[in-house]
Amino acid sequence: MKIKTLLVNMTCALGLALAGSASAQEEGGNFVYLVQPEPPSLASFLSTSGPIGLVAPKIYEGLLDYDNDLNIVPALAESYEVSEDGKTVTFKIREGVTWHDGEPFTSEDVAFSIMEILKKVHPRGPASFAEVTSVDTPDDTTAIFNLENPAPYMLRALSGYESPMVPKHLLEGTDPRNSDLATNPVGTGPYVFEEWKKGQYILLTKNENYWKEGLPYLDRVVARFVPDASTRTAAMENGEVMYGAYGAIPNIDAVRLREMDGFSVSTDGYAMINPMALVEFNSTREPFDKPEVRKAISLAIDRNFLIDNIWFGYGKAATSALSSNFSATGLYKAEPEAYPESPDVDAAIALLDEAGVTPGDDGVRIKATLDLIPYGEDWRRAGEYMKQALMPLGIEIELRYEDVPTWLKRVYQDYDFDMTMNYFYQLPDPVLGVHRHYATSQIRQGTHFVNSSQYSNPELDELLAAATTEADADKRAEIYGQVQDILAEDMPVMNLFEMEFLNVFNDKLHGHDASALGAYGSFDQVWIEK
Amino acid sequence: MTFWKLFARNRSAVMGLVIIFLIILMALTAPLFFPADPFSLAGQPMSPPGENGFLLGSDSLGRDVAAGIAHGAKTSLLIGLLATLVAVFVGVIMGALAGYYGGFIDNLLMRATEMFQTIPSFIFAILLVAIMKPSIESIVIAIAVVSWPAVARLVRGEFLSLRGREFVQACHTIGMNDIRIMLAEMLPNCLSPIIVIGSLMVATAILIESGLAFLGLGDPNIMSWGFQVGAGRTLLRSAWWVCTFPGIAILLTVLAINLVGEGLNDALNPRLRERT
Repeated sequence: MKIKTLLVNMTCALGLALAGSASAQEEGGNFVYLVQPEPPSLASFLSTSGPIGLVAPKIYEGLLDYDNDLNIVPALAESYEVSEDGKTVTFKIREGVTWHDGEPFTSEDVAFSIMEILKKVHPRGPASFAEVTSVDTPDDTTAIFNLENPAPYMLRALSGYESPMVPKHLLEGTDPRNSDLATNPVGTGPYVFEEWKKGQYILLTKNENYWKEGLPYLDRVVARFVPDASTRTAAMENGEVMYGAYGAIPNIDAVRLREMDGFSVSTDGYAMINPMALVEFNSTREPFDKPEVRKAISLAIDRNFLIDNIWFGYGKAATSALSSNFSATGLYKAEPEAYPESPDVDAAIALLDEAGVTPGDDGVRIKATLDLIPYGEDWRRAGEYMKQALMPLGIEIELRYEDVPTWLKRVYQDYDFDMTMNYFYQLPDPVLGVHRHYATSQIRQGTHFVNSSQYSNPELDELLAAATTEADADKRAEIYGQVQDILAEDMPVMNLFEMEFLNVFNDKLHGHDASALGAYGSFDQVWIEK
Repeated sequence: MTFWKLFARNRSAVMGLVIIFLIILMALTAPLFFPADPFSLAGQPMSPPGENGFLLGSDSLGRDVAAGIAHGAKTSLLIGLLATLVAVFVGVIMGALAGYYGGFIDNLLMRATEMFQTIPSFIFAILLVAIMKPSIESIVIAIAVVSWPAVARLVRGEFLSLRGREFVQACHTIGMNDIRIMLAEMLPNCLSPIIVIGSLMVATAILIESGLAFLGLGDPNIMSWGFQVGAGRTLLRSAWWVCTFPGIAILLTVLAINLVGEGLNDALNPRLRERT
């Protein structure tokens, strides 16, 4: 029996945290941070929309948390055991935790949250818990997950952001899609929901009964909504707000604030999100049905030019289908041949010749349209760069910039595109964030952010299926090595660069970077220097 | 006094005409001085004016601001003229019909123009371009759609006052058909206000195009001044030259066209003819 226990780990971590707290942390204070845009609701069990993630995890918690090195840290579960065949995961639930309304939190809530809510109404829950057939609750502090097949990735999807535990006593027998909890959340987290002034702020207050001894430090947490970017920057500059993440402060202003006294910029807290900028090819359209053409385009792109000149140096050139952040779990493999360090136009032209895509009388080999993700100016600049970078190859690009619904429909419903620039969250495990790009089963017409390339490769499908259920870490890494080899050769999706979102914060603020989830974390250790 | 003498009495109008002439010259000679595509990544990004071979500096991708201004002149003038032509064409037809026939047709057409005029024109243009995909055609259409009601109302007013005049009645008596009366007899008599409003409309059209491009609703494949300003807007604090020079180009062009429009008004408006 292979047993993983976190008890020792946890005691050490908590001990260290408490030892540190005695000397430095200061109690009290109001913490105001930026949330952009205003969340549609606080129902994090229904939607993974970004702004919900910025607020809800302060109220709801998950079974586990993750530290900055992506190690698993206990949260509502004190410890867990994975059986040797990987098909049973037993969580020891923390005793003495209460919901904000005073009801005790038990394993019943866990079973209900997983089986009735996350598996049914959460956008990514059905994938995260696909293998879970039932959750047994022999007593109040034990939750046993019975799995169809081993699901190692599941343990990466148990944070308060990704899989919040919700109160059974308030949701049972109601329609979770129309629950009061959406605007009046009741969780177990460090902060209690107090007030939502639409268009202005959400106010949370300290949870006096929080299970972590001595936490939280703050009296109040305020999520402020400021629609205008320059007003947000000004609010940061004059100390009105102390923290902004996920691009709340634009990169151009962030680099300016970085040089000023009293402000800092960090890129931590996105390792569980793993955003990747990329180009999706329509692999059913000529000439993008030829892998050589897709690869030639990858060879001609200067990824660092994009990062340096459009994203102000924040980002890391992509080197494989997987983000290099997966090297922490050993799954990443560099593919320098398909993702060269600097562009190689000659090699790209040679590839096009080889594929039989030859220039016409006007020197043009391919005329194609590049759709741009309508999420702001940066993407337009990137498209303008692509257009120029592909000209020497004889590829003439026309740029198309539409509104969000039209673009989503074109790419994911009508498949009426040649290439589209986009970005995807690769999430903490490839099963959750990467498979959706490439698996044949993910050619789901009408579903957003899945396999719009309509790429289908039975060999790859088999490898992906094997990687999903492989419990052994080394074997899993080997499978993903093969996956990345195939994708470097076929490249139905061309990764551009690993995006780095920015946190801009006042230097008086501490403890906001305690979790791998960064701004999607609980902020339980945040404190303000007076 | 000849028309030119009347026009030349207004010094600033002549200056406007010179500026417009220079801008047209710049648009025509742009391919000679800047043979490369204005979108091409010509060198070091964010070079200040005068450095790295960029007369007016380069933008965040290393595109030549001067080349963009030269090539953008063609776009701005073309869109301004085309949109105005379409707007005047539609406006004259609507206004002429309404003013000439009066009654039910007048009512119908004027309620239609009112419907258009109650929507703020720039917001309406944004809406139209956003619905159609941003391209040079959709921008021309959008500007024309928001501009024609003004022409229509003006022409209607002129036709209403001309309708009862003796020469029009004479035309009726000798059996001229309606179309011919409208086109050959009445229209020439209200040409001057149409020319004046049309010239001013070119300036407005250029401004609307710039505004649309600034908001990211320009044709992404065509260089224009508004596009340059929009692309440089975020860099204003670190690279002022990227949007300043195209901004000056817009200012000068619009100013020049307004001055010429004013001059035309002075020269063509009989009530102002004797103004000293």
